[in-house]
Amino acid sequence: MFRCVLTAAALVLFAGSAFVHAQKQTIGAPPEASNMKLVGTNDLQARSAYQPTIHHQGDRWIAYIGHHGGTDDVPAPVNPMTGQAEPNGTSIVDVTDPAHPKYLRHLPGQEGKYESGGAQMVRVCDGKALPKGDPNAVYMLRTFGSEAHEIWNVADPANPTLITRIGGLKDTHKSWWECDTGIAYLVSGAPDWRTRRMTQIYDLSDPAHPQKIRDFGLPGQEPGSTGAVPTELHGPISTGPNGNRVYFGYGTNKGGILQIVDREKLLNGPKEPTPDNLRLPEISRMPMSAFNGAHTTFPMLDMPVAEFAEDKDGKTRDIVMIVDEAILNECGEARQMVWLADVTTETRPMMISSYTVPEASGQFCQRGGRFGSHSSNESMAPIYYKKLAFIAFFNAGVRALDIRDPYHPKEVGYFIPAITQATDKRCIPVEGGERCKVAIQTNNVETDERGYIYIVDRANTGLHILELTGPARAVAGLPKN
Amino acid sequence: MTIALVLAALGASGVGAYQLAPQPAPTSAHWRELAWPFPRDGWPAGRAFRCEGGACDGAELHVRAKRGFCNCDSGVADDDEVDRVADIDLITPRFAATAPGEVVHVGEMHGRARRYDLALYDGASHAAVGVAVSRRCDLLVAAAQGRGDANAMQLAALAFLETQEMKAWLTAALDGK
Repeated sequence: MFRCVLTAAALVLFAGSAFVHAQKQTIGAPPEASNMKLVGTNDLQARSAYQPTIHHQGDRWIAYIGHHGGTDDVPAPVNPMTGQAEPNGTSIVDVTDPAHPKYLRHLPGQEGKYESGGAQMVRVCDGKALPKGDPNAVYMLRTFGSEAHEIWNVADPANPTLITRIGGLKDTHKSWWECDTGIAYLVSGAPDWRTRRMTQIYDLSDPAHPQKIRDFGLPGQEPGSTGAVPTELHGPISTGPNGNRVYFGYGTNKGGILQIVDREKLLNGPKEPTPDNLRLPEISRMPMSAFNGAHTTFPMLDMPVAEFAEDKDGKTRDIVMIVDEAILNECGEARQMVWLADVTTETRPMMISSYTVPEASGQFCQRGGRFGSHSSNESMAPIYYKKLAFIAFFNAGVRALDIRDPYHPKEVGYFIPAITQATDKRCIPVEGGERCKVAIQTNNVETDERGYIYIVDRANTGLHILELTGPARAVAGLPKN
Repeated sequence: MTIALVLAALGASGVGAYQLAPQPAPTSAHWRELAWPFPRDGWPAGRAFRCEGGACDGAELHVRAKRGFCNCDSGVADDDEVDRVADIDLITPRFAATAPGEVVHVGEMHGRARRYDLALYDGASHAAVGVAVSRRCDLLVAAAQGRGDANAMQLAALAFLETQEMKAWLTAALDGK
């Protein structure tokens, strides 16, 4: 009996210590991982990071990483390369050797804190791919805080030169740029529109001479309209002239909408922003629960589904992966997660599956900061496309999903980086003040054609370059390492 | 006229009258709490009230906290933001602003208020006021509607939101309690 009591007490103590360990990250503790391992890191000058884009540039691999604005404590971190305090902008990092990333340049962005400054978004196109680009140039499209889009020539990534600026905006966000046509879907806040974020479509085939094509949004957002204003745009992804579709995601953590748009009609239809003209290119619209937004709408068309292989119809499916964005710290809202929609019958899109990190697997609601999804990788390189998706899940790190059967997505790996001295706190209001915790906040993720996975941290912990290990590699058809 | 409206507004809240007006208002108003009348949406339900007596008699007021607002630094910067967030669309999706909005304060929170005409299902014309103020990354929104004068309704609603009872509730709601 006494032994039973002792054993029970020991179990309680063990469970208690495991619980505490799971709740709180500590500096010096190792990362948590399954089937993913760390290859290299860079601290990104302790700047809050948003979108990474990895570009194969000659014989080099360059990571272009957008940043949010600074923090209350450090509005403009010091760039150790210049010795100057610089508002967060764009980090340019040579990741040719992923084990030893080399920081090349920080391009300052708009002054301002958090989402009110920085240069969050970045896309890159080679000049030789653009129809009217300088073949010797490499063009980086980025936002400049909320007020402008900019195009830089980053052929020498350590010494970018500004080419063009499209300004006068009240906001910006995650744009899309077709490198083969130059058509860009810029997430902008046109001053006369009733929404903070809509689409301005430009022909950037000659980046030095942007040509405006039209403004686009949901009816009710256009200038002069009245009544309810539909959810604001978060970002579009185009399949280009071949796919002839643009998938727009509206909403971040609430009232999400997936809108499927005929690209040809969008670009060549009537352009005056009337309700009828805005409706014309729309094929369908799938409203989501009011609890969830549509941060990223990632198309994976014509996917063979093994389960349906013997069916006479519907063997392949057109899938859109929708990722919501968690906004509030410590689970202060409905869970934001991953949704897969079958859009094979385009006018009747249907949600078919979902995925979330099990909260209890790490007591993530107690760890501090945001818990929930934010974004997926957006590379369509064959190495992972339609096989594996990588989801940034804030304090639950990055999650690798086997999406070969999109009706049954399955987690096959994860990596939660260790926190560092640079990791910023995240606070919630409590009686008469705030209570803060420090936890990793994996914000965005991207992959390259070599198979490396790049995750960046919103809480200033920097860049982590990862690779798959174990069974997760087999999902992608990669050799064992 | 302005003095009369202010007096009416102060009288619109029992608590406000107790705290702010040394003498009784010409006609007293009372905000009686109702059940939240709207279907569940992305934000937790708030609180609803009907004004009884005073210049806002018959007006309904719907108040709620919206936690998680991206404009943490800029706050409620323009009238379009009020159109989007102030919950007027819960009453009817068909509304039109009657004039540019104005800067308002609720306690230490800053933002804007704007007046609207509503097109209701019964064809009746109603006036409405939308209020949106922010505290860091969170919003407090209020939508008032009724058949009376929009200006009086706005003053009464803002006075009510300034009462100790409402300020305590708003603080708790914005704290997620």
